[in-house]
Amino acid sequence: MKARHLVWLRRISQTFFFLLFMFLLIESRLPQDIYLDYSTAFSTDADLRLDRPVTFFFKLNPLVGLSSLLSGHVLMEGFLWTLAIIILSVLLGRVFCGFICPFGTLHHFVSWIRPALKGKRLIEANEKKPSQKVKYFLFILLIVCASIGLNLTGLLDPISFLFRSVALAVIPGLGVGIRFVFDFLAQSDIKILNLLSYGAEVFVSPVFGYDFQAFQTAWFIGLLFLVVLFLNRIRPRFWCRILCPLGALLGISSRFTVLKLEKYDDKCTQCMKCTQNCQGAACPRPGQDWETAECLVCFNCFNICPEDALSFKFIRSPKLGKRANIGRRAVLTGLVGGISFPLLGKLDGQIHKVSDPRLIRPPGALNEAEFLTLCQRCGLCMKVCPTNVINPTLSEAGMAGFWTPRLIMTQGYCEYTCTLCGSVCPTGAIKKITAKEKIETPVKIGSAYLDRGRCLPWSGNTPCIVCQEHCPTSPKAIYLRKEVMLNPDGKKMEVQLPFVDLKKCIGCGICETKCPVRGKPAILTIAAGESRSLKNQILL
Amino acid sequence: MNFTRPITRRESIKKLAVISGGVALSGAAQLPLPTLAESNRFIVEGIGQTEGYAVKDLTRKVFEEAGGIKQFISKGDVVVVKPNISWARQPQFAATTHPEVLETVIELCRDAGAKKVRIVDHTIHDARRCFAISGAGKIAKKTGADLVYPRESLMRGMNIRGDRLDVWPVFVPTIEADKLINLPVAKHHSLTTLTLGMKNWIGSVGGSRWSLHQDIHQTIVDLAQFFKPTVTMIDAIRIMTRNGPSGGSASDVAVKNTLILSDDPVAADAKAALIFNRKPNSLGFIRLAQKHGLGTYDFEKLNQKKVTV
Repeated sequence: MKARHLVWLRRISQTFFFLLFMFLLIESRLPQDIYLDYSTAFSTDADLRLDRPVTFFFKLNPLVGLSSLLSGHVLMEGFLWTLAIIILSVLLGRVFCGFICPFGTLHHFVSWIRPALKGKRLIEANEKKPSQKVKYFLFILLIVCASIGLNLTGLLDPISFLFRSVALAVIPGLGVGIRFVFDFLAQSDIKILNLLSYGAEVFVSPVFGYDFQAFQTAWFIGLLFLVVLFLNRIRPRFWCRILCPLGALLGISSRFTVLKLEKYDDKCTQCMKCTQNCQGAACPRPGQDWETAECLVCFNCFNICPEDALSFKFIRSPKLGKRANIGRRAVLTGLVGGISFPLLGKLDGQIHKVSDPRLIRPPGALNEAEFLTLCQRCGLCMKVCPTNVINPTLSEAGMAGFWTPRLIMTQGYCEYTCTLCGSVCPTGAIKKITAKEKIETPVKIGSAYLDRGRCLPWSGNTPCIVCQEHCPTSPKAIYLRKEVMLNPDGKKMEVQLPFVDLKKCIGCGICETKCPVRGKPAILTIAAGESRSLKNQILL
Repeated sequence: MNFTRPITRRESIKKLAVISGGVALSGAAQLPLPTLAESNRFIVEGIGQTEGYAVKDLTRKVFEEAGGIKQFISKGDVVVVKPNISWARQPQFAATTHPEVLETVIELCRDAGAKKVRIVDHTIHDARRCFAISGAGKIAKKTGADLVYPRESLMRGMNIRGDRLDVWPVFVPTIEADKLINLPVAKHHSLTTLTLGMKNWIGSVGGSRWSLHQDIHQTIVDLAQFFKPTVTMIDAIRIMTRNGPSGGSASDVAVKNTLILSDDPVAADAKAALIFNRKPNSLGFIRLAQKHGLGTYDFEKLNQKKVTV
């Protein structure tokens, strides 16, 4: 195959997988028209599920697979995909980076569309640098961490990073902007603009949702995403070369590749075009030692060389490819960091002393120690949640649990018969449960308590039963007692006072969401009583 | 947000009637609106007695007994059906309107030549889940009716002109119609004792609905005088007797095999209250609605009919 064809094959593959990634990301929600094709009304045990394979890219991802195996001792569902990618890398090098990885494609695109560097400076930037060892350090750190029981991989794993950034920051952020424009149009006195705003909603809402989405700390997720994209101005595909731990893993496994770069030193005129177009800073120039582990298999050097001095060939020889240039320092610091982090992460006492009452995990979440061995912080559960209750944590789970999911009941609530979050969790940090299990077990995620000072009937202000009305259990966990209270004028007023029955309360938080006292409702939900923890129980 | 109230088709017709009929009482808006003579109003009770009767047959029979759907729906009408599908609960828990009743009513409207039938409810649980689990979605697909996804952009501040509520966000698709059919399910409710027809209108407004409960009877009546349905059909095929309005357990449900159809919203609620062994005048919102001239709970005065299947 000619070099030109290979490059086009790569571009087609990159486009395909990038679009597939975005498609699956957008589809990670209950579609607005789900009611047209789906009904559970007449079958008692069916649950609402997404019909797209939204976890596909997580299954492909060897870093997620490996860290789940080492950390949670779990062989992920669909691990054969992971295995296929590892075999592919062993045989052909980092083709995942060059052909498949959507984050890599994004960096490739950003570096290519408006290169910040030109000519000699670009050649210089594409020479191999010692900083490329950083990714091995990060990889070793994350893997050692994971083996000891703290899985931080998702913070830097490219698929999780991209998913989290796009799902929690980019799309909701654009949604705010687009909605702002439409609201402006809708308020206009010009009829055509009004109609335009209604019409546009039909196209916009399926992607951005009918309501404003909110994700706490999303500004930081978005900022980090912008910074990582900006780094491409310093060096093309900065992330892939220097930071990506998945790239490091694939680089290490590419040593046995049979797809090798052949160099013909005699033909080379040292025009430097290969280096100028190299995506991985992998020393493609004749006279240099080709860095197998750094090569992103983009075929640019092969394609650009005017003298045919370079060629990718399948060579089965006992001679192995060049060993990944890891360096002793990266290994040592990686080990030290990898051992320290899990220990330091426990010093906030979340696991051994008492956990934060605001740390309400999604229904079906494993107990905290196991949860942290598997959660990738990818944001899939947050994206998929129909009530927007699941949010990334800041400090509620300690630094060890940064960006793991947490339910914020003032923002939404956990719907009684919904188990969507567990059904999409790629690693099983949230178990797949059915609505039946959730109700009959019951899976408690916390418990509610009343703040009588703010409660409208308790404080003698006005009758109100909103919390009790919405309580989804049967019999209801919130019950009412008739009582005569004095209102602020001193007159007698008959009200129904709400009480919480802790035996029945499952902590779904709908009472907190719907309470008329906004912001800090008069009925609040805390994690105490959650069934995933043996220690965090209230009742005998 | 625009706080002026757009003139609906219904209103313009009414205005036209006022002008041509020469009802020139100044301040008529403050007085109870002159309604049809009570004897011209009807109430039909349909009961399914035979074992294994079809809910669809019962629904059709009830409408036939009332003079046929064409009495209410004309050719080319835009019809809005307002069921209660607010909870993501399966139909057998009686938290939502019986899907077969909903389906039949839409079919009847279609038979009468309705141009468009729209299912409208501002749900409490996530609308997508409500539509899928209550069966409304499948019915929309089957019958070709529109199912409106409730969202903030469809709420519009309007002057309710109630005693307690003035400007309140209204779920616009409810009122942009020629005919409005109220299709609630009869349920227990902890504050109002029962939730029947008139309370169903809380599902047609937006805003801070949770604060309506602070003066629930008055706000129900305020909304009932704003949304005036062509007819109300109360689904009491199976009713929720406790743990309302959400329920969720088979033991909360009693089977009554009854449908009530009336053009008097107060009478319909009153009749349905009897199914729960409640005296109509023991319910605050029914008493208050009669006082405001929305109808009568003394349904003996109405043209009463009964049909069994």
